[in-house]
Amino acid sequence: MKTEPNIADPDAFYAAWTAAQQDMNESESADYNARLVLLLANQIGDNTILEACVQAAKNP
Amino acid sequence: METSKPTDFRFAPEYELPRWPFAAPPELTSGKTQRYPVVIAGAGLSGLTLACDLAARGVRSVLLDDDDTIGVRGASSRGICYAQKSLEIFDRLGIFERIRDKGITWNVGRTLSGSDEVYSFDLAVESCSEQPPFINIQQFYVEWFLVERIQELGLTDLRWKNSIKNVQAHEDHVRVQVATPQGEYTLEASYLIDATGAASPIRTQLGLNAHSSLGEDRWCITDVRFSKPLPKERWTWTDAPFNDGRGVWQHLMGDGVWRIDYQMAADADPHAISRPEVAAKRLREQLGADVDFEFVWIGPYQYRDHLLDEFRHGRIFFIGDAAHVVSPFGARGGNTGIQDANNLGWKLALVLNGAADATLLDSYQAERHPAAAENLKVTSRTAHFLAPRNAVEHRLRRAVIALARRYRFARPMVNTGRMSVANDYPATRWLPQGGRTVQNVSFNGGSVMQALRQSPRGIAFFVGTPRGDLREQAIAAGLSVHELTADCALARHLGADEGSVALVRPDAYLAMCARPPTADQFKQALEILK
Repeated sequence: MKTEPNIADPDAFYAAWTAAQQDMNESESADYNARLVLLLANQIGDNTILEACVQAAKNP
Repeated sequence: METSKPTDFRFAPEYELPRWPFAAPPELTSGKTQRYPVVIAGAGLSGLTLACDLAARGVRSVLLDDDDTIGVRGASSRGICYAQKSLEIFDRLGIFERIRDKGITWNVGRTLSGSDEVYSFDLAVESCSEQPPFINIQQFYVEWFLVERIQELGLTDLRWKNSIKNVQAHEDHVRVQVATPQGEYTLEASYLIDATGAASPIRTQLGLNAHSSLGEDRWCITDVRFSKPLPKERWTWTDAPFNDGRGVWQHLMGDGVWRIDYQMAADADPHAISRPEVAAKRLREQLGADVDFEFVWIGPYQYRDHLLDEFRHGRIFFIGDAAHVVSPFGARGGNTGIQDANNLGWKLALVLNGAADATLLDSYQAERHPAAAENLKVTSRTAHFLAPRNAVEHRLRRAVIALARRYRFARPMVNTGRMSVANDYPATRWLPQGGRTVQNVSFNGGSVMQALRQSPRGIAFFVGTPRGDLREQAIAAGLSVHELTADCALARHLGADEGSVALVRPDAYLAMCARPPTADQFKQALEILK
């Protein structure tokens, strides 16, 4: 699992991520984020890395 | 209150299943206790397969069953999907043609959400076997064919209406007390095989904890004939519009009978949901108001699972549901029991014939327990996907299904059952490289199963010209020797290139494949097979 900065333009990603959810209520946002996780997980593919991310997200 | 006219539905006449008469065992008249090499308790799928396998190897056994017929009284059919490995075993035992002729061959499965397909598979793509990936047929037909084959082979003492009252384990035998309509008797077994199913009285009497748990999810089976033509495929809905957004399974089996399995609300009353007028309403909802149908059977159920820690206790072996039970998704129940029998049969035969050390029998636990544990894991994941436990899990599943409609990547995550496979075996002293199934591939005008019928001790495949010493050793160990060319389908399936030797066990598992094997490696592999 990468924990060093890896996103080329972090501010742009954050802006796009929040903009996408601007008009959503909490429930719609939760649905959206679940779908986003799946799309991103498929970019990673490797189960060991995914498992590490799944665990790491539990304890920030 | 809902009114229903009697014309709303009708039932097909009940199946007339064969009955075999009770015959007084010799012990009842003589009063003497006899010792038998193998006694099998329970004439279901796994017990019958084992008796048949032993008989095919020339080994006599006593088979006790508390009933005088096959199937389950009052029920239509239990298992309906028979997987390729089971079908290959049945081919070796000589009943495959009957199953194929009576059953429905299929290989495509589709999963739908609402009215959209979100996932599909074609099992034929991975197959190089003479047998199809799946045949659907009523379980009682398979049991019926096995009984008739066993009778034909003539080595099994089939005792109907003989139920086990009590077992007593000893160092070198098991004492078994049996109840019959004409009184009780005692027999002794060098090996007792418990194939009495999920509610095994033997397991209970021995106080063995099988870690059982009951699923909360409720389902209701409707076995039904109707005139509407539907594809001969396995269709599953994660959320069907015609079942209040819950799951539905749709499968065809023998005699034009469809099995439609409806997921019910968790708090549904089993009696209410299985009333014929209620089932008729569900069916019309699904097929249209004008479809003509007749019920064969309606039955509600909750699935359960359990897994014994040890499949062997001294001279008692547990096979099939007596050892493990899983939820029905993926047909990993009956098929696993059949494979248990396939795994144990040749080992018992070798040990009883004095050709192998009794420690070979320990490999049954080493191979079949991990298989059962894997099946429990796989089926539990399916059950979990099908019945989200709370709002959060519903949300996550909704995300998977929503993406699966649009993108291919999410489709394999839609889990309505992972179909039964011949499980791989871990590396052990008996299988230094681990073991995987060998499909019934045709070669040199025959097939793997045909070769195993003729050579029940196993097969040595040489790719290219066999080295003389290895060939002689294989023949001396009782194996048949076949030469393959490197480009033939079987050599490719075995992963055997020029100069390789592959040893196939009597249960059609690959015991070794090496190019070329060292003398020690080869000797060690042969040692296990003889």
